[in-house]
Amino acid sequence: MVPVRRQAVLRSSRVVARDTWWMEFDCPEIAETSVAGQFAMLGVGLDTAGTWLLPRPFSVGWTGPGGVAGFLVRTFGAGTRAFTRLAVGDEALVLGPLGQPYVLEPGRSIECVAGGVGLAPFIALAASEAAAGRQVRLIYGERNAEAVFDLDLLRELTGHEPEIYTEDGRMGTMGRVLAGLDPAGDALLLGCGPTPMLRALAEFARTNHRDLQVSVEEHMGCGIGTCQGCVVRSSDGRWVKACVEGPVFPADSLDWTTGG
Amino acid sequence: MAERVGSRTDLSQTVFGVTFHSPVLLASGTCGYGQEYADLIPLDDIGGIVTKAVSVEPRVGNPPHRVAETPGGMINAIGLENVGLEVFRNEKLPWLDRALERAQVLVNVVGRSADEYEAVVSGLDAEQGFLGYEINVSCPNVKGGTMFGTDEAVLGGLVRRLRRATERPLVIKLTPNVADVGVFAKICESEGADGLSAINTFPGMVVDIDRRVPLIGNGSGGISGPAILPMGVYATWRVRQSCELPIIGIGGIRNGADAMQYILAGACLVQVGTASFVDPNAAVDVHAGIAAYLERSEVDSLAELVGGLAFPAARK
Ligand SMILES: Cc1cc2nc3c(=O)[nH]c(=O)nc-3n(C[C@H](O)[C@H](O)[C@H](O)COP(=O)(O)OP(=O)(O)OC[C@H]3O[C@@H](n4cnc5c(N)ncnc54)[C@H](O)[C@@H]3O)c2cc1C
Ligand SMILES: Cc1cc2nc3c(=O)[nH]c(=O)nc-3n(C[C@H](O)[C@H](O)[C@H](O)COP(=O)(O)O)c2cc1C
Ligand code: FES
Repeated sequence: MVPVRRQAVLRSSRVVARDTWWMEFDCPEIAETSVAGQFAMLGVGLDTAGTWLLPRPFSVGWTGPGGVAGFLVRTFGAGTRAFTRLAVGDEALVLGPLGQPYVLEPGRSIECVAGGVGLAPFIALAASEAAAGRQVRLIYGERNAEAVFDLDLLRELTGHEPEIYTEDGRMGTMGRVLAGLDPAGDALLLGCGPTPMLRALAEFARTNHRDLQVSVEEHMGCGIGTCQGCVVRSSDGRWVKACVEGPVFPADSLDWTTGG
Repeated sequence: MAERVGSRTDLSQTVFGVTFHSPVLLASGTCGYGQEYADLIPLDDIGGIVTKAVSVEPRVGNPPHRVAETPGGMINAIGLENVGLEVFRNEKLPWLDRALERAQVLVNVVGRSADEYEAVVSGLDAEQGFLGYEINVSCPNVKGGTMFGTDEAVLGGLVRRLRRATERPLVIKLTPNVADVGVFAKICESEGADGLSAINTFPGMVVDIDRRVPLIGNGSGGISGPAILPMGVYATWRVRQSCELPIIGIGGIRNGADAMQYILAGACLVQVGTASFVDPNAAVDVHAGIAAYLERSEVDSLAELVGGLAFPAARK
């Protein structure tokens, strides 16, 4: 799984929720070798027209036939706005697959807990694991109904029925994803989303003795372990690099008392 | 003039007693210890790499965020986190020795005191797998608190000591955080340095206006990328005017044209840093861009162009 750098052509791009795009690129290496939880650095390269943009990390959302990799991109600042403006046929510079994936045990059921664009890695995972006969729950929360990923497309990609939570209650169940979890359950918990949500999830897992793996977010420079820019604090007090040692970590290996 | 053949275009530079087959190196802190890039680019196609700073003891580094994009560049405050002398010598250097044939290696050295710098140099000097040292003087001296590279007496003393500790090429990486970088270049020359790298990052700060705190965990950080290209070129030109030492030009280089600015201003080698984050292939492309420039200009050898900057008479 050596990362590959490639100019990748954008095959399709569509709005799937407010400020949120589903973008599929021609990326055969990522499509063939990436495992759910891994990510790619997406950039525009050293544009001769003078645009300067550092690449940004995005979870590999889905890999499909014909060497296609799908990414879920929600606009936030300059970088995400630049990518979502790409038109079909445009090229992006993609470096991936990168980082450590979720690690599943044979036969053990999983509960994927997603907040916002934290949904991305679970699209691929739900699709492949449900097809392979594993018991999968996909519990997906958003602040409001407008932010929820196009459900028809989500069902089509995953072949699976997600359980939706919105804080405004206008779609799915009103409330937060944590409400969907059974403290006595024994499925492996997988989390991805904003840090406050992950922290709450880690606390839930700790008090209920549940196994949990989370995908964390930190600013990245290189994505391949050279710049030491992307560190998070481990439970034994070290700085660990989210790009190579993560982004997926066992929740109990991280220090949840510090940071955003 | 002899007839020119494209493939004969000569980008090699003979500096520090060896030939760099390419003038393009990867800058310290942006290529780790080489290993991560080996899967992505043919390292032997470029002139060499400069390692992440090595200190006597491993360094832990700063809290996040450590990096963020800034207009035309980025800010970083890594805190010189590195594996330390021991691991570098036992694990990283042997890999470099095995993996690289043509590419040269400079070891970037950092310390909190002159003793610490000297300990790294003495601890490595007998090893194989590298050409010489690039001394990072953009860090605070525990005695006195100012940076090594911003105090004339402190810098002079450091260079003098390191000169006694090694016969290998000793390159001092200047900080731009001084009134006249030429003065510091001259000091390094008179204390026996073999070359100068110009330049390190500029101090900077980004404010998170929502939380009303610095965006970077350390508070401030170093600015790199195209935003500092003209300042790096200027520093190179000032250094060229102040001393005779070979210069390695650094700061904001993205392509062959950027590199040629440094070379015409007086640099014989260049380093590519932040641009490698945008495209891991950046250094290889910079090399190709320099070659294309020579072709276009019908110049056979890059060495002819070093310091070839002319000033129109009226504007002198
Ligand atoms: C492993 C990983 C996977 C991710 N997967 C997805 C995904 O599938 N879909 C999606 O929409 N977003 C994802 N993100 C978050 C995404 O990378 C950020 O939203 C994006 O970097 C913000 O860039 P910007 O230019 O729009 O924002 P700006 O605020 O303008 O960015 C400024 C700087 O902050 C950094 N930055 C800001 N927010 C984040 C953040 N949350 N994470 C990392 N860097 C940040 C940028 O790299 C840049 O250096 C992921 C992040 C990580 C670390
Ligand atoms: C993430 C990062 C880490 C760096 N670490 C070091 C270092 O350890 N030692 C050093 O001398 N310079 C370090 N630098 C400075 C670069 O080597 C270079 O001088 C500077 O970034 C300007 O070049 P650029 O604009 O091409 O990046 C670092 C720069 C960055 C961006
Ligand atoms: S992003 Fe550079 S080390 Fe992780």
